[in-house]
Amino acid sequence: MNPLKNLSVIRKLVQIAAFALLVYGSSLGAYHLADKLTHALPALSCAFDHNGSDICALIPVQHQLGHRLGPVITSGGDILMGLMPTLITLGTFLFFFIFLNKAFCGWICPLGTFQEFMYMLGQKLGLQPTENVDQKIVRKGRPIKWFMLLFLIFVFPLLSGVGFVNHDLMDPFCKICPSRFITTLANGDASQLHVDTASTTTIVLTVIADFLFGLVIVLSLTVRQPFCRICPILALNAVFRKLGLLRLIKNASSRCDKCGLCAKACPMDIEEIHTEMEKKNVLFEDCTLCGRCVEFCPEQDVLQMKYTVIPVFSADPKYFKDRNKAQKKWEKNNLMAKLGNNRKPAGDSPA
Amino acid sequence: MKTLTVTAGLVLIAVMSNTMAAAEKPAIEKQAKQTSKVKQTQQMQHRRRAKQFALAGAEGATITLWKPDLTKIPLEQKHLMHGTITLPPSGLDNYHAIVAEKDWGDVKESVIRYEYLRGKPSKNSPTILSAAQKTEFEIVPDPIPRGHFQYHTDLEWNFITRFKGKPVPNLPVVFETTNGSRIETKSDNDGNVTITIPTDFPDMVPGKRDRRSADFMLSAEYKDSGINYQSALSGEYRVSRMNWRSVGWGSFVMVIGMVAGGFIGRSRKNKRT
Repeated sequence: MNPLKNLSVIRKLVQIAAFALLVYGSSLGAYHLADKLTHALPALSCAFDHNGSDICALIPVQHQLGHRLGPVITSGGDILMGLMPTLITLGTFLFFFIFLNKAFCGWICPLGTFQEFMYMLGQKLGLQPTENVDQKIVRKGRPIKWFMLLFLIFVFPLLSGVGFVNHDLMDPFCKICPSRFITTLANGDASQLHVDTASTTTIVLTVIADFLFGLVIVLSLTVRQPFCRICPILALNAVFRKLGLLRLIKNASSRCDKCGLCAKACPMDIEEIHTEMEKKNVLFEDCTLCGRCVEFCPEQDVLQMKYTVIPVFSADPKYFKDRNKAQKKWEKNNLMAKLGNNRKPAGDSPA
Repeated sequence: MKTLTVTAGLVLIAVMSNTMAAAEKPAIEKQAKQTSKVKQTQQMQHRRRAKQFALAGAEGATITLWKPDLTKIPLEQKHLMHGTITLPPSGLDNYHAIVAEKDWGDVKESVIRYEYLRGKPSKNSPTILSAAQKTEFEIVPDPIPRGHFQYHTDLEWNFITRFKGKPVPNLPVVFETTNGSRIETKSDNDGNVTITIPTDFPDMVPGKRDRRSADFMLSAEYKDSGINYQSALSGEYRVSRMNWRSVGWGSFVMVIGMVAGGFIGRSRKNKRT
């Protein structure tokens, strides 16, 4: 298969370009990049990365709730004025989000890119990656991202702003976000990988952060997108997903009942994409619009990525055949196979 | 280098009283009386009160507030009370430059300080402000501190010496702090000066959060057409957070996380088998 016709290869190239732009942007010479592009990116790009060209929307939201809305509430001021910065940030976020929808997660996010490349490394090392996470675990894990969004992005910063909890809880998500480590380490700065002894709160938060980062590094070798499953920006993106112009459409056929390759191909283990037979819009809350389900759907036009009403990528039997062959070839060529280990090739080929 | 001490005394008196040994105060205070100086006495970023700075030796000085869009607000007598300047609202968000200048005829003095003021989004990069010529001879930070990237101890920062917008190579510069540190160095062929901000706060306790701040002055002197230009850049620096952060422990906890990840992966694999 021509790699440039392989959607996954194209996506990896976009991910690498986005990673370079977001993580090293300001060193590319244009000072506008150092000033950050949107200040409300719908993907995890960290403010601690001094060379970065943008920051995610969650950073300003936490600070604005803590530093703006909180003091307004305590001083009895105009709530709407206190809320205005947050609304402006969310408005900016929405403005950009509309164009790519949740593809910001699957195509742009530096942390998502890191996890995907770690998984590819796992495949190349022959670590027998977990094909699909147990559906019970997937379902139990889904609410976590909503709790993260609610408590770490909205509740704690606001409580900190009104003085109910200490100031170290002003930006709790930033303190535990693995993107902080990835983006700064990628710039040769290890200072963010620390335990902060300033207070009990900072000790607890930084220990959680460091542990979580270690966990994500190793888990992503064998599990697809471990952190994405609990990421609050996935939840925030899910809130607005119906407003995005890029969509995932399913025209269910009777053969969908038996197949299920789309769900197996899904890096987020969304089983509903297979079982849903009624709704046309199958952009579920966990979807990152990576397009793998479309790639591995063997039925003509059953799954489609559409930009408004224009199909940009559709399921195709010939593409499926070639793509599946390419995937198996990729998986076979791993370290374990070269060392003569005869076990089943590592990989996530659904077919 | 002697002449540099004329402009090198720009210090924060209020901060010094917290951080400087008593024996060092009189000498610095004496220097402070000799020339214009900018002192920040209050920092009310979040409550949006006007920022105030003490300006000693302000007699005859022209003080200008440069906005991010490069328009200027001349500061008048009403903004200067008892040696304290109260910055008027500029209406714009982003970094501003406070420029104090004094013209003695054969000597021209200037001091510049970059400060963040709040207002409507300016749509201008701070780089435009630092690139603009604000006074004939000036020292500019490269870049202006912003976001999470602020001056702190044990941090290397680049500055550029410029005369009429062009870099001045091989120029002696003096970096002084209100904590008593002094570094003498020279700009390179491109006018760049790299300074490592010294760890000079007294009585620092390792592992304990320290919110103290102090001021530094980076000053230099340049002669052209019989005029002696003396310029200084004033800024605030803080104790490095690495004083109460341990990368060693952080790495150790990360390794524990990696081991835990390995166990989870292994147990899942065994379960499948």
